[in-house]
Amino acid sequence: MSRLVKQWIPILIATITGLVVLAGYLIPTPPLTYYRDRLVEWAVIVAAFAFILGLFNILRVHGGRVARLRQGWLYSLVLLLAALVAWVPPLLYGPSGTATQQMFDYVIGPLGASLAALVAFTLALAAFRLLRARRSVGAVFFILVVAVVLLGSTPFMGLGRLADARDWIVNVPGMAGGRGLLLGVALGTVITALRIFIGSDRPHSEF
Amino acid sequence: MHVGAILLLILSGLVLVMLLILLGQKGPRPTIRPLPAFQDLRDEVGRAAERGGTIHIALGGGRLNGEDAVSSLAGLQIVEALAGVAISYSVQPIITVGDSTLLPLVQDILRRAYERRDLTERYDPGRVRFVAPSPVAYAAGAANVVATENVTTNVMVGAFGAEVSLITDAGARRDLPQLAAAAAPRAIGTLYPTTDHLAVGEELYAAGAYTTGERRYLVSLVAQDVLRVILVLVILGMAVLAFVGS
Repeated sequence: MSRLVKQWIPILIATITGLVVLAGYLIPTPPLTYYRDRLVEWAVIVAAFAFILGLFNILRVHGGRVARLRQGWLYSLVLLLAALVAWVPPLLYGPSGTATQQMFDYVIGPLGASLAALVAFTLALAAFRLLRARRSVGAVFFILVVAVVLLGSTPFMGLGRLADARDWIVNVPGMAGGRGLLLGVALGTVITALRIFIGSDRPHSEF
Repeated sequence: MHVGAILLLILSGLVLVMLLILLGQKGPRPTIRPLPAFQDLRDEVGRAAERGGTIHIALGGGRLNGEDAVSSLAGLQIVEALAGVAISYSVQPIITVGDSTLLPLVQDILRRAYERRDLTERYDPGRVRFVAPSPVAYAAGAANVVATENVTTNVMVGAFGAEVSLITDAGARRDLPQLAAAAAPRAIGTLYPTTDHLAVGEELYAAGAYTTGERRYLVSLVAQDVLRVILVLVILGMAVLAFVGS
C-alpha cells in the first residue's frame, strides 16, 4: 500500500494531468479546454501554497542565522524586519491601497532597478576577467563582437558603420545561432516532457 | 489544432519509446557525445570536500508551472545526482531556488538522497533555500550565499537571464570553479566569460545522462540526437525543395 501511494499514484496523477493539459493546448476544443483550464487553476492555487512554504523557509534560514549570530546576521535581521514591515500596508489598506502601491513604487521598484543596474557592471567586469583568464582567439573574438554590438547600439554620431555591422551580426549570425539554439531547446523540452509522461523520469515520486 | 506540434510529439514519442525498448534494459550502454560541463561535475564535489567547503547549486528562477519548467526539471536531475555524491563525501550542498514551487521538490530529492544512505538524521531542509521570487533579487541573494557560506564550487543549472552575472561575479571574486548550463540566449552570453565549463541550449537537458549515468537518461539523450538529425534533414530537404521549386 505504502509503495503504491508513494511511488505509483504520484506518477499516475502527473501523467494524466500532463496529458490532459497538453491535449487541451494542442486540440483546443471543449471539453478538453475546460479540464485544461481547471487543472491550470489548481496549479496556481498549489503554487500559492508553495509560496507560503517559501516564506517559512526564508524565516527559518535567516532567523537561524540571526539567532546564531553567524556571518551576515545583520543583513538577515534587516531582511526579516523588511519582510515583516512589508506585510503591514497590504493588511491595513489592501493590496491596491495607496500605501501598498507607494511601497512598491518607492521602495521595492527602485531597489530592484538598482540591483538590475549592477548587472551592467558585473558584465563589464566579466569581460575584463575573460581577457585576463583566457587569452584565446575565441575570447578576443567574443569581446570584439560584444564591443561592436554595444557601440553600434549607441546613438553617437559617426558610428554608422558600427551600427551596420551590429545589425548584420544580430540579424544574420546571431539570428541563425539563436534559431539553432531554440530548435535544440525545443527538442530537449519535448524529450524531457515525454520522459515524465511515460514515467521514465520521476522527480515527484519515491523511487 | 496544432498539427505540427502533434506530429513532432508523436515522432519524438515513437523514437524515445522505441529506443527505450531496444536499449533501455539490456545490451551495450549507449555511447554519448563528450560534454565537459557535466563530465567534471562529480569530481568537483570531491574537490569541494577536499577543500573543506561545500557546493552551491543555483537552480534559477524557473517555475514548475511556467514555461521554464523543463529547464528547472533538468536542474533537478543535477541535484539528484550531486546530492548523492556530496553526501558520500560528507559535503552538505546548498541549493538555492528562485521560485517556491521548486522548494518542496528539491527538499524531497535531498531528503531521499539522505534516506538512501541511512543518514536521515543529517538531512537539513534549511540547506535548500528559497531566496526571492524576482530574478534579480534571487541572483543577488544567491550571490550572497556564494560569497559568505564557504562555498568552494559553484554550479548554476536552470532558468536564468542576464542577472546570473551577479552570481558568477561572486564566484569569480573568490576564484571558485564555476560550471553552468542554461538554455536562454541571454544567460548563455553572460555565463560564457565567467564559467569554466558551460553547457548551452539543449545540452542542459543532457545533464541527467552525464551526472547519473543512468540508462534511461542515456537513451533519451540518444533519442534527442536522433531527432535532431531528423530535424536537420527535414530542414535541408525543405530548403532544397524550395530552391528547386523557385
